[in-house]
Amino acid sequence: MNPLDKIRQGLRDVFPVVLAYFPLAVAFGVLASASGMPAHYNFLTSAWIYSGGAQFMLLSLLGDAISPFTIISTLLLVNMRHIMYGTSIGPYVRGWSEPYKWLGAFGLTDEVFAVVSSRLDKNERLSVPYFITVMLAAYGSWLAGTLAGYGLGTLIPSGMAEILGFALPALFIALLFGSERSRADWTAALCGALLATVAALLNAGGIGIVLGGLLGAAVAMKVKPKRQEHS
Amino acid sequence: MENLFWIIAVTGVGTYLFRAGSLVLGSRVKWNERTKEWLSYVSPAVLGAMLGPVLLLSDNRWVSVTDNAVLLAALPTMLIAWKTRRFLLTVTAGILLYALIRYLIL
Repeated sequence: MNPLDKIRQGLRDVFPVVLAYFPLAVAFGVLASASGMPAHYNFLTSAWIYSGGAQFMLLSLLGDAISPFTIISTLLLVNMRHIMYGTSIGPYVRGWSEPYKWLGAFGLTDEVFAVVSSRLDKNERLSVPYFITVMLAAYGSWLAGTLAGYGLGTLIPSGMAEILGFALPALFIALLFGSERSRADWTAALCGALLATVAALLNAGGIGIVLGGLLGAAVAMKVKPKRQEHS
Repeated sequence: MENLFWIIAVTGVGTYLFRAGSLVLGSRVKWNERTKEWLSYVSPAVLGAMLGPVLLLSDNRWVSVTDNAVLLAALPTMLIAWKTRRFLLTVTAGILLYALIRYLIL
């Protein structure tokens, strides 16, 4: 496939993410604006952290009187899941030059990972034009949505902003339930949910997500039959 | 607000290092099949882990099902995701369901 086809394929694959990111980022912009976060910080959060889960969580943590150190630790623990994404995409970018790897890594969000990993074939390598297209389109949508949301923030009543906050669980549900899943996948998801919930009950929510991810996947290994579709 | 700048800056750097470090390392180390398989289960496990507390708890406490608008909206949203396999449709329907439940019941 030539690079232009790769770009076209990238645009096709990323389209649902672009469509979903925009309103989600609008929701973030609205909520941030409603919480009194200044415009430049609002934009900086989306441009620099670029992680929906952490950004929404940041807003709720800023509302409580918590030390900056605790906030940062919680957000980083939540975002530790990205290590798993890089690790599993890694083998497919072996042929990339170092700068591309370091650049491409920035765009490796939950949804971009979900889209890209569903495309990966065992012996195929990930194409640079394809990945950069996916990455830039998703990032652009996220930034545009944040700006639009901040603009709307002052106009939208706070009740409506709260309702938009459901965009985040809805997005996770779409990612989890919207693709073909094996019994082992469901086991992983259930164990992850259980562990994270117990951890949250013990006020250790951030570490719970990491533990839920690692141990949930480990338990799933016990119930396979081996999956054939992708690794 | 000065704190806020540092919170954003450090969280952003940390998140980027998670993404880049693992990608660069992952591209150098050859993982065996078992590790690869384990990694394929990590994505559903993390999604489950992020959803569990959001759906079942509020402020780290149990919420009874009848008072839990998030869970009541999430269940049909799951069904929609499963049946349609469509990303945006699921998110939109989810938000509308949540709005409806908040408006009508809770």
